[in-house]
Amino acid sequence: MFNSVDLTQLARYPFTTEAKEWVKNEKVNTADILSDAVYERARMRGIARVHQALKRGIVDEVPLLGEADCIMELFSYPIARMIVAAVESEYLIRRYALAEAKKAYTALKNEPPEFISILAGEFGITTDHRGIHFTDYLKYAPTWDTKWKLVNRNLQHGYVVLQHHEIARLIQEAIREKIQRELANLFAPPEVKRIFRDDIVAMRSSVASKDRRPKIEEVNEEYFPPCIKSLAAAARAGTNIPHVGRFTLVTFLHAIGMETDDILKLFSASPDFNMEKTRYQIEHITGKASGTTYAVPRCDTILTWGLCYPDQLCKTVRHPLFYYRRRSRR
Amino acid sequence: MNFLKKRFHRYYLHSRILLPERFERREYAFMLFDEDTMHRHMAFSSREQLSRYLHSHAPAHVYYSSAYYRTPSAATMREKQWMGADLIFDLDADHLPQAEQLSYTEALVEVKKEMQKLLSFLHDDFGFGKNETRVYFSGGRGYHCHVSHKAVLSLGSQERREIIDYIMGRGLDLSEIVRERSIPREGDARYGQRFTHKTIEIDPSSGGWTRRILEGLVAFYERIRHMEREDAIRELTKIEGIGRKTAEELYGGLTDERIARIKRGKLDQATGFKRIAIPLMKNLAVSLTGEADEPVTTDIKRLIRLPGSLHGKTGLRVTPVDIDGMEGFDPLRDAVVFGDEPVKIIINKPVEITMNEQTFKLEKGDAEVPEYLAVFLVARRNAVIKKSME
Ligand code: SF4
Repeated sequence: MFNSVDLTQLARYPFTTEAKEWVKNEKVNTADILSDAVYERARMRGIARVHQALKRGIVDEVPLLGEADCIMELFSYPIARMIVAAVESEYLIRRYALAEAKKAYTALKNEPPEFISILAGEFGITTDHRGIHFTDYLKYAPTWDTKWKLVNRNLQHGYVVLQHHEIARLIQEAIREKIQRELANLFAPPEVKRIFRDDIVAMRSSVASKDRRPKIEEVNEEYFPPCIKSLAAAARAGTNIPHVGRFTLVTFLHAIGMETDDILKLFSASPDFNMEKTRYQIEHITGKASGTTYAVPRCDTILTWGLCYPDQLCKTVRHPLFYYRRRSRR
Repeated sequence: MNFLKKRFHRYYLHSRILLPERFERREYAFMLFDEDTMHRHMAFSSREQLSRYLHSHAPAHVYYSSAYYRTPSAATMREKQWMGADLIFDLDADHLPQAEQLSYTEALVEVKKEMQKLLSFLHDDFGFGKNETRVYFSGGRGYHCHVSHKAVLSLGSQERREIIDYIMGRGLDLSEIVRERSIPREGDARYGQRFTHKTIEIDPSSGGWTRRILEGLVAFYERIRHMEREDAIRELTKIEGIGRKTAEELYGGLTDERIARIKRGKLDQATGFKRIAIPLMKNLAVSLTGEADEPVTTDIKRLIRLPGSLHGKTGLRVTPVDIDGMEGFDPLRDAVVFGDEPVKIIINKPVEITMNEQTFKLEKGDAEVPEYLAVFLVARRNAVIKKSME
């Protein structure tokens, strides 16, 4: 993929097949990576990757000045993955995958277009000079955001014409999915738990609250306004719901205190239910993944989306949450 | 055996059904005459098997799944194991605004226009080749378009929904398409921001909806410009939010030079643009569905009529339509499969119809008509067979 083995580039994108091949060809066995003093720096950096992901949601770039820097960076990635696997937390896996993807995005934005195309190919994304194929676009674009909705995009002959940083953003999503998928199937060798014990314990305690948050008071569906009731019923029945409908439903359920996992369950009847993707969408909307929490849309908005089926009480409210509060107070 | 069933039976005895790709991975479903239930979850492993079923049951309606499955005959989705699905667009007269006011023939002409719009989206914007989009007359009141390009097979319903939204112009945000700019007026610089001139620009090199809207605007303005003053004003004031004064200004300002600027995407004063763009968008979009009705197209497991089969409520054949010859396709000629031996019927409501290029004007009561018309009218419950016949 990279012309002549450019170590710096491999180190910058350690999740690529080529980078993994490179590590494999070094023929260092796991035991050495985990304990040999030569790899001490790689181990430190591996721990730092995970810590940074946990604390700040992005893995920092480090200066890659010489060959040694690159080699340590390359080895730090599999180490970080083993640590994440050893913590055994769904939350950490998601958070770490996103943090690595964000780091890659930062670097990717500044790469020449040819490089971006090559990297895109690694994820099966078809690019040409115009942009990327719309089917790949749809797989990775956050289309619930107006700006990313296909209808507002420059689509020509099957390709969505995108700016450089936008392609990088879509690849970020592809990277995140890939890393997350890989981690979900990765088991850490037992030594890892021993060698990094202190760090793993610390990480476990900081994710404990995230993995299973105590359930807030019971949600009473009877009090849902008609719009939400019908969306919830549709979701449960596995029927299709327009994006805006999903969006409304998720923001609403989140606002009344429902957990991601419970919201997920609601959607699981859909025939093409994709747990990870749906989870990501939910977390994006609720702000867990993106940092922006979207507000529950107002009645006017829901009305223009054609999702409003008002009843008596609706006449006196302008917001579905008021409806719910009103009913639950009674 | 009733009249229709007999005729259908004869048809299935002699005709070749057009099999969908991966036909042994599809679920089939049938509705029989004189029954209200759908026979679902059937699968066939060979053409002969399917033909045999059709001969022996002569069903009123024949469907297959747009999806293909590992085990198409299983009863639940989970057991079926979804493998992929064609992208299907279902354009039906019922989805048109004011569908009730149109005759059967008129409605079909309207749907055909929508289909042509749809095809332009699929070919120009989505880049599907002509051979990847197949159009069928549904046998009823619409046309279907099947896209089987391999890139679409694995799309989930959310992704399909984005495609539908695109084609229907749903969620289109004008502010994503136009660039608003505030240009300080000459000589006013010392007043700073307050004296600015708002302009709207559209990138003329862009594709997608941007191109469609720009082309639509140019065509609209050119049409207005060539109208008599009063006609133009009347046309313009029809648009919501445009009053006489604005209309006059607009009309007066439409010089050659002005239109040339618009072609380059420079819309100058914002006046009227958004007002005009909204109805324009509606016109350019495809009406796939009524308001309350969810478009079935995003459904990744829906059933569609099998090409080559007969529609039980018209007796017409689900017929492939040549995209280039669409203009000349006449369902009441090209989807007719029955012959013209005379059949005695009793008509319950006056009919006027052109079928097989022959115009019939029939009053209530007894009539003798060619078999193809008898089938059509009986199937549509516009007539019954005169008892002595059966
Ligand atoms: S009025 Fe508001 S709360 Fe009631 S159904 Fe409509 S959108 Fe929902």
